Amino acid sequence: MKPASRVISTRLTALAAGILAIAAVAPLGAHDFWISPSAFRPKVGGLVGIRLLVGQEMIGDPVPRDPAAIKRFILVNGPGEKPVPGRDDSDPAGIIRADAPGLLVVGYQSLPRPIELMPDKFGQYLGEEGLDEIKVLLAGRGARSGAAREVFSRCAKTLLLSGEPSEKDQDRALGLTFEIVAEQNPYLSAAGRELSFALSYEGKPRAGALVIAINQRDPSTKLSARSDAQGRVAFRFPTGGAWLVKAVHMIPARPGSNADWESFWASLTFDLADAHVATLSR
Amino acid sequence: MSRCTAVLCALLLAARATYAHEIGTTRVVISFPAPGAYVVEITADASAMLARLEAAAGQRRSGQMSADEYQRHIEALESEFLARAHVAFDGVASRPEFQYVQEPVAASPDAAVTPPGAIVRLRGAVPANARSIAWQYDLTVASYALTIKSATAGPDRTVWLEGGRSSEALTLTEYAHAPSRLEIAATYFVLGFTHILPKGLDHILFVLGIFLFSRRVKPMLWQVSAFTVAHSITLGLTLYGLVSLSPTIVEPLIALSIVYVAVENIVTAELKPWRVALVFAFGLLHGMGFAGVLRELGLPRSEFLTGLVTFNAGVEAGQLTIIAIASLAVFHWTTNRARYRRLIVVPGSLLIALTGLYWTVERLQVW
Repeated sequence: MKPASRVISTRLTALAAGILAIAAVAPLGAHDFWISPSAFRPKVGGLVGIRLLVGQEMIGDPVPRDPAAIKRFILVNGPGEKPVPGRDDSDPAGIIRADAPGLLVVGYQSLPRPIELMPDKFGQYLGEEGLDEIKVLLAGRGARSGAAREVFSRCAKTLLLSGEPSEKDQDRALGLTFEIVAEQNPYLSAAGRELSFALSYEGKPRAGALVIAINQRDPSTKLSARSDAQGRVAFRFPTGGAWLVKAVHMIPARPGSNADWESFWASLTFDLADAHVATLSR
Repeated sequence: MSRCTAVLCALLLAARATYAHEIGTTRVVISFPAPGAYVVEITADASAMLARLEAAAGQRRSGQMSADEYQRHIEALESEFLARAHVAFDGVASRPEFQYVQEPVAASPDAAVTPPGAIVRLRGAVPANARSIAWQYDLTVASYALTIKSATAGPDRTVWLEGGRSSEALTLTEYAHAPSRLEIAATYFVLGFTHILPKGLDHILFVLGIFLFSRRVKPMLWQVSAFTVAHSITLGLTLYGLVSLSPTIVEPLIALSIVYVAVENIVTAELKPWRVALVFAFGLLHGMGFAGVLRELGLPRSEFLTGLVTFNAGVEAGQLTIIAIASLAVFHWTTNRARYRRLIVVPGSLLIALTGLYWTVERLQVW
């Protein structure tokens, strides 16, 4: 069993509907998808490569820019929103310039992609991602020998800071189908302090989703909790460095989609200062 | 749009429709550069490759680093890599040699934010009478294209694989024709010959150094025989893994051997026993150099002796050709011994010695 970390929620304990306890996450069968910028804290005016990564344990294979797969690929810096440019079939998939100081929010949503999974694999992945409602629905549909037909969409975000952090800079909902929004600016926080996140599906709070946080320096340090009735979840991150916060939402596929299930993979990446760095800077 | 691009686009579209996971940047190409030899070239992201190797080795994960540092770290984890890149012929695992090369960086405004790419080449031998090849690569989870370059007249083939999944057994005869023993012998004879003439300028100068020593047949025969016997011995022993000397030592010494024979040509024209002994010793060094070439080509295990003997025969033929050409070229001057020595032997040997000296210094710096 991998080492696990204690997840403590203070301010949101009453709200959190899920587990805020020692999390031990089994080896993953499904593959995460996240955004990895070439620098989380670029200089003002600097170029930043925006890589799309698919993988596990925060070890990701770069996914080149595929215009046929992109539903949205946007940068929000200040009041406006603009598309993330890039060269087709290239890695990094996008390249942005940190034009002005402040928080930069980059969002990517893919178009749905089909996948077929054998029943054992599908069942394993439902367990890993905490998709208990689907397990119940699946049981209700009775035993099926064929592969589960699914269409999946990636809904990835990353937060970058250029220049000094400011209270007025906050993450915001970009309108991705399934989305994680940081309720506090992580660049004003540090390891050891609590950060909360809001999960929404089609703009409405998503309750009961299993949210997992993974640290890049030490992927065996995983935190997990379920979102509460308002779709909120809180973590006290034990260490600094790049963090991936992720969750999966699944629904029965809509008619005409030629699939049984439709899933949405939300992720949010950011860099957290180490506790001693934050103390020194104060 | 070129036909090639159109085909690639069609393949990508087909892959998008068929495969579940996102297509990553990994590419794998299998080729057959010589009968009985294969090369698998894996092009991938260096940071993802290193992160997976470190995880496999239970090491702490490194952060972002330079292309040189990625190379150093990944080369140190060669055994972990070889345990996760599987080449099998008829279901039997092959044990290839590992080589890491940095992917060239294209000049573009985005170069500063373009992460380093890694190219790993796995070289090995195709077993005799092998019917199929299968490939599996565990250091990616994304889908990737595996291309098999045909060494026959047939077309190349691209198949899409999920990371960590084995390809089907691909029929080898479609891509690499099974060579007869005579074909293997001919191939390695030509490789041996061309390794001397025109590719082996250092060996050419050494043989010319021997040639210039004396106009008489007997001293030349003694030297050529000593050289031939010696390099045959170390070529065989090195390939069988019985002796091993680093190129950092062998290559400068080969250059130094050229200096020696040339300088002695200027000093004396009389064949002393130590000259034959030294030419023999230098032959031992040159043999190790030849072995390096044969190893790079991937001598098939089943045709080891055929390849070894015919490569060596090709080397001999190359050397004799040099002597034959040189004899014809200087024939006019050989009638007058003093004039031959003044106009041909001394200036020619001086040039050879200087070139050898330059190579010695250069190789000591490079290695």
